[in-house]
Amino acid sequence: MDQPVIKIEDLEKSFKVKSSSFKRPARVRAVNKVSLEIKKGETLGLVGESGCGKSTLGRTILKVHEPDGGKILFEGTDITGFSRAQMRPYRKRMQMIFQDPYASLNPRFTVGELIGEPMEIYDMYTRAEREVRVQELMRTVGLKPDHIRRYPHEFSGGQRQRIGIARTLALDPEFIVCDEPISALDVSIQSQIVNLLEKIQAERQLSYLFIAHDLGMVRHISHRIGVMYLGYLVEVGEADEVYSHPLHPYTKALMSAAPEPDPRAARARQRIMLEGEIPNPLDIPKGCPFCTRCPQAKPRCREERPELKEAGGSGRQAACLLLEG
Amino acid sequence: MLSPDEFFEPVEDWERDTEYIAMENKSFGRDVWSRFCRNRRALFGLVCLTAVVVLAIFGPMVSPYPYDGMDVAVKNQGSSIAHWFGTDQFGRDTFTRVLYGARISLMIGFVATAINLVIGVLYGGIAGYVGGFADMVLMRIVDIIYAVPAMVYMILLMLLLGSNVYSVMIGICVSGWINMARIVRSQVISLKEQEFSVAAFVMGASTRRILFRHLLINSLGPIIVSVTLMIPQAIFTEAFLSFIGIGISAPMASLGTLAQDAKMQLEIYPMQMIWPVAVICLVIFSLNFMGEGLEEALNPKGKR
Repeated sequence: MDQPVIKIEDLEKSFKVKSSSFKRPARVRAVNKVSLEIKKGETLGLVGESGCGKSTLGRTILKVHEPDGGKILFEGTDITGFSRAQMRPYRKRMQMIFQDPYASLNPRFTVGELIGEPMEIYDMYTRAEREVRVQELMRTVGLKPDHIRRYPHEFSGGQRQRIGIARTLALDPEFIVCDEPISALDVSIQSQIVNLLEKIQAERQLSYLFIAHDLGMVRHISHRIGVMYLGYLVEVGEADEVYSHPLHPYTKALMSAAPEPDPRAARARQRIMLEGEIPNPLDIPKGCPFCTRCPQAKPRCREERPELKEAGGSGRQAACLLLEG
Repeated sequence: MLSPDEFFEPVEDWERDTEYIAMENKSFGRDVWSRFCRNRRALFGLVCLTAVVVLAIFGPMVSPYPYDGMDVAVKNQGSSIAHWFGTDQFGRDTFTRVLYGARISLMIGFVATAINLVIGVLYGGIAGYVGGFADMVLMRIVDIIYAVPAMVYMILLMLLLGSNVYSVMIGICVSGWINMARIVRSQVISLKEQEFSVAAFVMGASTRRILFRHLLINSLGPIIVSVTLMIPQAIFTEAFLSFIGIGISAPMASLGTLAQDAKMQLEIYPMQMIWPVAVICLVIFSLNFMGEGLEEALNPKGKR
């Protein structure tokens, strides 16, 4: 029972970037030695700036990208080296919700075909049974079953995201990567979708990897939070703990940038303004990846790369040399 | 002071239904069709083409004259009730021969295009989807084929296989599929990065399913448009080959050979040349108008 649904160890993924045909292709290291685990019924929120490798991490776990190193364990089975055929039974159990509800639905399919497609791929049920299932799923996500013959362009963004969620649920997965499922939606619709995701999670004991950059929303939905910077996981811990007492200097800066609804509290709070830009991922600093912008960086930080270690108790981990003392 | 009741009125029940979709439930095909019909030139093209196709198929069957039946007594006549388009130098009925020629020309156009379509879509689809090294090799092969002028292949094939309908068709197909392959490849490359194809992959869909059900179906617009432009091109190529005398040989007739036959007496009997050329023009104009109309109909964002 205590076995995590997903466990990754030292996962690595890099992409070749070709600048000109005469130079050797450089490598962008999008995910660097990331280890984490997600338990049954748990939501792990993943936050970080754009381009820090959150989405790549999510997609590598689902083997959309082949990992370059490390291990992916799904309920104890090492699926890292699995071929496409070997992956098939696992694909059913690990699914994905996409960021852009406009691009993630094939425009030539009706809603019925979209939600029914995963069942068709696995040859589940007869045609008629599938249609009944599709209508059930539509009701679950709050769509009208009479809209089954409509095309996605006839729906609003929020409705389309529901279609995407219904499609994801069609296979009864145990683990879902939510790749910024709300960032393309209006604020009023965001909460509807988040509530829907929470409701489904409670009903089906799902595990989520929830990728987002809306810090408030991530705090709301996540049990635990991971913070990524330049492809490194710099801090992991219970959601409220990470928010109230961030350990890593980057997390501190990130949390201080989250909007505070209470103006009095906002005034009292000290904002940490980071200087400079994120370093080019082609050229990650030698020591701590954050050393170029860290307000507390010591000479040692520029030489030694910190590892993710227990820090501050209650299962929290952070990668910072300053915390090691 | 006014009470709020005077400013507001209660929402009626139907207005609460926020999920209501006002748009008529239209399938993609019907939507395209209605936009196509609004384009007068395209519709004109469709009507003319349909007329020519129907006449080319059934005309020679109904006509009282066989396409190769000579009658020296009535040679080189002008238009009359008996011979609508007159007769040629051997007394063959020009109307029948033009219809028969249109049949051969259209057949070459459609069959050659169908072959080009299948080869081009599969080749371009696979190159685009697989990508990487395989794509590089496949596209270099295409470049090599494309580097030799199409006319050279055709003339070589005529020498090898003799002048007949099949050698003309094969000649057109040798390099005709290349444009299609390039169009499909570029479409597939841009579509495979879209989230819906990633979604299909995550669902566990097979390569074949992703390629056909997701990528190619979404490239249908450019494919259809290029097909409507490929057909007139094939017809034109055939007419050209026949006109310079290396296409289809007598007594078979295509629109090109008819023009070629009339060439010798052009100064005395110009009408013998005008009829087949008029039909070629009509067919090519119609197809081009249809292509344009389809392009607009399939691309609602590009509407004026």
